[in-house]
Amino acid sequence: MSKFAFEAHNVSRSFGVVQALKNVSLGVAPGEVHAIIGENGAGKSTLMNIFCGKLQPTEGTLARNGEIVNFTSPIDSQQAGVGIAPQEVSLVPNLSVYENILLGAQLTKGPRIDWKLTRAEAIEHLHAVDDTIDPDLRVRKLSKAQQQLVQIARAAATKPRILIFDEPTAALTYRETEKLYSYIRNFRAEGGSVFYVSHRLDEVLALSDRISVLRDGAFIIELDPKNTSKETLVNHMVGRDVSRAQKALRPDFEKADVVLEVEGLCRAGEFEDVSFNLRKGEILGVSGLIGAGRTELAKCIFGLTHKTKGKVRILGQEHEIKSPADAINLGLVYLPEERKQEGIFPLLSITENMAMPNLDRFRSLLHFRFGDMQKEVQGYVERLKIKIGQQKDRITSLSGGNQQKVIIGRWLMKNSKILIMDEPTRGIDVNAKFEIQRELRRFTDNGLSIIFISSEIEEVIDVSDRVMVMHEGRVKGICNSGEASPEQLMQLAMS
Amino acid sequence: MTTVTKLTGNPTMAVQRKTSLMNRFWRWEASGILVALVALVLVLSFTTGNFLSSYNLVVVARQAAFVGLVALGQTMVLLVGGIDLSVGAAAGLSAIVGSLLLTSVGVNPYLVIPLTMLFGMGLGLINGVFVAGLRLNPFIVTLATWEIFAGLTLVITQGYPIRPLGEPFTFFGKGDVFGVPNPVVIFVVLGAALIWLLTQTRFGRNVFAVGGNREAAILAGIHVKRDEFLAFGLAGMFAALAGILYASRMDAGQPSVGEGWLMGCITAAILGGTSLRGGQGSIVGTMMGALLLAVLANGTVLLNVSGFWQRVIVGFVVLLAVLVDLFRTRD
Repeated sequence: MSKFAFEAHNVSRSFGVVQALKNVSLGVAPGEVHAIIGENGAGKSTLMNIFCGKLQPTEGTLARNGEIVNFTSPIDSQQAGVGIAPQEVSLVPNLSVYENILLGAQLTKGPRIDWKLTRAEAIEHLHAVDDTIDPDLRVRKLSKAQQQLVQIARAAATKPRILIFDEPTAALTYRETEKLYSYIRNFRAEGGSVFYVSHRLDEVLALSDRISVLRDGAFIIELDPKNTSKETLVNHMVGRDVSRAQKALRPDFEKADVVLEVEGLCRAGEFEDVSFNLRKGEILGVSGLIGAGRTELAKCIFGLTHKTKGKVRILGQEHEIKSPADAINLGLVYLPEERKQEGIFPLLSITENMAMPNLDRFRSLLHFRFGDMQKEVQGYVERLKIKIGQQKDRITSLSGGNQQKVIIGRWLMKNSKILIMDEPTRGIDVNAKFEIQRELRRFTDNGLSIIFISSEIEEVIDVSDRVMVMHEGRVKGICNSGEASPEQLMQLAMS
Repeated sequence: MTTVTKLTGNPTMAVQRKTSLMNRFWRWEASGILVALVALVLVLSFTTGNFLSSYNLVVVARQAAFVGLVALGQTMVLLVGGIDLSVGAAAGLSAIVGSLLLTSVGVNPYLVIPLTMLFGMGLGLINGVFVAGLRLNPFIVTLATWEIFAGLTLVITQGYPIRPLGEPFTFFGKGDVFGVPNPVVIFVVLGAALIWLLTQTRFGRNVFAVGGNREAAILAGIHVKRDEFLAFGLAGMFAALAGILYASRMDAGQPSVGEGWLMGCITAAILGGTSLRGGQGSIVGTMMGALLLAVLANGTVLLNVSGFWQRVIVGFVVLLAVLVDLFRTRD
């Protein structure tokens, strides 16, 4: 009899020639939180997908309470008591919150669904995770964070004995994360088992009873969180020493030119009376809870939405930015949060993705000078240290972090002056994250100015020169990042 | 608008405020079609003398019933995120097979309709095998089966109608219940049954889930392929029912049965607020959509507008419906 409630025995999985998982064995005992960490591409999600029956192992077996089980679909895993809150929100946008929670498991009376009972039970599951979400709203009306919470309530509603969380806090704010932790602790106290995948090492250390590190599809080491440091974790994840992004010397910005000046900007229902300026070479961090209006502000400055009131000056000149095309022509670029949906062209190559807005530069009378284009793209690939196979590969062949760098290369190539980055490091692995944080300083050294939106307060402080905190659509304060502690900023963001 | 400004900075608050009856009405997918239908009926009853006569209303309702029945099945397929281009041809082939069952095989007239429906369901399930089972594109699969079904109809009939079908079989298409034509009664009863199925059973909710987010449905442990498969089966079944009822009404299994029903049924569903992307729509909307098309056709005749203009008008109405939907969802 195994001591594990659920375990993998020598599980391997390959996709064509790529070996995503190599001979991995690990398990979770009742009443235990087992964290799985690793860089992107380490095989965590593949393993989780095998656990929940979405993928089948090419070799090896799964066992539930010591008995071998064979999951051919998520239906099987659910019946065995395994529930998953997947990384990507996977809900039906046009159905209500409560129906999504009990999707496919509505309570029935004969052939009929008993809507009253169904709703009541769904609300119970929802409230265990969050009690501020309206259960009758359609899911598409919810924010990203709220959807993630509904997703978690969904997983809980299958009444699992084993719960798998794949990056549950990626979109969550501080307060919601705390609620999730207490939910997980309760679940554990009742004898439930948890597999917990996360990039946030602090929370892994705080929450888990055991940590397993995966690298390149293989199991590396099991660690006890009580006597492990973050640095040790990172070193095992990447297989070598990584020094944290250095706090670069902050130049004296008082004398630098103001490149962007926003004065009294309003957009009804989203944000109000926002004023700030951005100097040449500066990184301005924007912090706040989800729903504070940061993304809305960025989209408005970029011309995706229209302001109700206020002024935007670029290099001292007032401009009416009516569309993204206007903004780009003025040298202002926005890198959206939803990289996949709004940033990349998944069917095109790396070269085309980077050169897309710059095609005119490479046009001769009748044809594109592809040679020149490739040469210039290669320059940025090297400057930004983008890990690629060949330029003509599809951009989707790259990891998330490297895709992001291609997009940044695109705008450097376009000779942009101001970059607004919305959660650029969300959901990418630690190594690529540090790399991007380091790169940001290199960009600014080349004359770029950056507005850096992030929900991770420590990251904002590490990366930015100044931090602007927003709360419910208003600016709560702007301070030099050297003078602020994470706790102070959090206080500002929440009041 | 001032109240909205005051809620600045907390968009969820704005959404959660008490919604008026009017707002709730507009949020309903079929609100646009209902308004259009009422407006059109009002206009026609004032501009023509005889639109509201019971005779004319019966004509309109019967006209709506045939395309409407096909549209009910099409709506199921659209809701799971598919499309079935073969319904018209399936209706034609089923009508021929049903007529032959009656005349050549000598099947009991009362069994002909259920058997034909089963046959039509089989045709739909063939589409289902390719689309749900093999994950092929529904547009291409049903384009192919459309040709196959239509071709088989001609092969079997050599282009000649099968007639007469005779009493008592013609009662199903020609008879009435208290003055309401049988096809209309069947249309309304089955429409109500589908509404119940879609709103009150797990299968019905799964249909919305599969069309709204297939991935989420899979993860929720829903038998996605089975539900898609069944939706195509229902589309075939409803098409066959419409086809055989039409044959019954005409007292002949004509090879041309079902021609023109494809565009009609998709138009009815779209007018009724069903999304081509799946996951959104309603049976009530589709039924009103079918009715609107019939009223339009009837109105152009009553107003002495050339029949040639009718298609132009229908085209504009569809564009208008899409525009209304655009403004409705942009809240």
